[in-house]
Amino acid sequence: MQTDERRKMVEMKGVTKYFGSLKALDEVSLDVFEGEKVVIIGPSGSGKSTLLRSINRLEEINAGDIIVDGFDIYDPGVNINKVREEVGMVFQQFNVFPHKTVLQNLTLAQTVVRRRSKNEAEKIAYALLDKVGIREKAGVYPTKLSGGQQQRVAIARALAMQPRLMLFDEPTSALDPEMIGEVLDVMVNLAKEGMTMIVVTHEMGFAREVADRVIFMDYGVILEEGSPEHFFANPTHERAQQFMRQIL
Amino acid sequence: MVEIAPKKFKKKKLDEHQKVLIDVGDGAAIPTKEDVGLFTAWRVAFFGAIALTVFLCVYKPDPYLDIMKFVPDGILVTFEVTVLSIMLALVIGLFTGLGRISKNKFINGIASLYVEVIRGIPLLVQLFYIYFGLGRFVQLPPLPSAVIAMAVCYGAYMGEIFRAGIQAIPKGQTEAARSLGMTPAQSMYHVILPQAVKTILPPVGNEFVALLKDSSLVSILAVADLLRRGREFASQSFTYFETYTMVALVYLMITLFFSKLISIMEDKISAD
Repeated sequence: MQTDERRKMVEMKGVTKYFGSLKALDEVSLDVFEGEKVVIIGPSGSGKSTLLRSINRLEEINAGDIIVDGFDIYDPGVNINKVREEVGMVFQQFNVFPHKTVLQNLTLAQTVVRRRSKNEAEKIAYALLDKVGIREKAGVYPTKLSGGQQQRVAIARALAMQPRLMLFDEPTSALDPEMIGEVLDVMVNLAKEGMTMIVVTHEMGFAREVADRVIFMDYGVILEEGSPEHFFANPTHERAQQFMRQIL
Repeated sequence: MVEIAPKKFKKKKLDEHQKVLIDVGDGAAIPTKEDVGLFTAWRVAFFGAIALTVFLCVYKPDPYLDIMKFVPDGILVTFEVTVLSIMLALVIGLFTGLGRISKNKFINGIASLYVEVIRGIPLLVQLFYIYFGLGRFVQLPPLPSAVIAMAVCYGAYMGEIFRAGIQAIPKGQTEAARSLGMTPAQSMYHVILPQAVKTILPPVGNEFVALLKDSSLVSILAVADLLRRGREFASQSFTYFETYTMVALVYLMITLFFSKLISIMEDKISAD
């Protein structure tokens, strides 16, 4: 691989984050290239969600630099809202807007932030609802939907902004087991289309199928990274071995 | 007045799914779901008041019917003061509530100071202060003075209602809106406030009833509201007992009517 010629989508250098006296991220450095799919795994409390959330500045970091799509997002001169337009985020708790219909969930930011016309926004929204397989729910309020459907709405809502990077924060952890598949299918298809993705998950099957690189975190540090083949066959770090034994 | 129950809100660490308890401790006898019988307190009070009023007017038209002919002008003024005050209080309350959750220390400090100061001074004193006290610098006519004083006072309480309502919305909603590229103002306007309205409406309705009753205080400023009209009638005819009986009955019927309306509205909202 000619790693150095590829465009860096995310560049983290010495990122450190404290929650009170707890060190959630300890000088983490990580590069993610355009088109790459990176899966972050690790025990709970390892700092993986914090790492992901710091990439679109939902967490403020205490030290280090994060460059997203060429913008230093902790530079006061950089408009974080502009950067976030290009970075889609999917949450564990879906966070769909309960007071808006499914269609309105998808068109709101398009019209308010991207300044698209209602017509154009709805056209894009319907195409995405087709893609995630819930076009027939366009006029329904999300509270009437199952968890899996809500999460697909949330993914479509993020995609409606046509982001260059998608962040997934344990997107299937709050779902009933029978609904995990429908959400992962959407994500696998997205990966096949070439989207740059950073995914925090416990779904090892997804990691194996989709990831270009698997990152194992614990104690706020990246302990090991490598291809899924390497990672699932013989992780080198002792904590990684232990974690894989527990989870598989 | 309405007291927002959980004081924990001050600590900002809010459990995502914690429901806000907005304790309705004031207002007239608002019927609750448990009161299913025909003789609920609300029904007895409301229809009893109507029956008594009609009975008195028919049985002893002098002075009761004369009183009922004299005071309706005052009812209109009472409504005028109440509606204008509540609308202004809502605007003040919105900005106060936003100020109270602001991360900007200066704005937050101003909003908090306003709430603390206003809540610590009796409404009657505030009315005197604005009309008689500040009259030394700007002499406003009685009605605007009354409306401003009521709105400034109730704005502080409204501010706390708005703050609690906004903070009751899970943090994830703001995060989702912001991660779509919305500015703080856009996410507040398009995502948070429309959801907060549900929690805010019932206590606001309750404040409306409380304000309607407190509006009787403006009669002190020579605003010809319901109570003032009653006073005028009584002092001419010396029928104090009869007049204030009728004035009390009219207030009772109005507040019970609105209390019922609000509880119906509350049910509708929670049914959604």
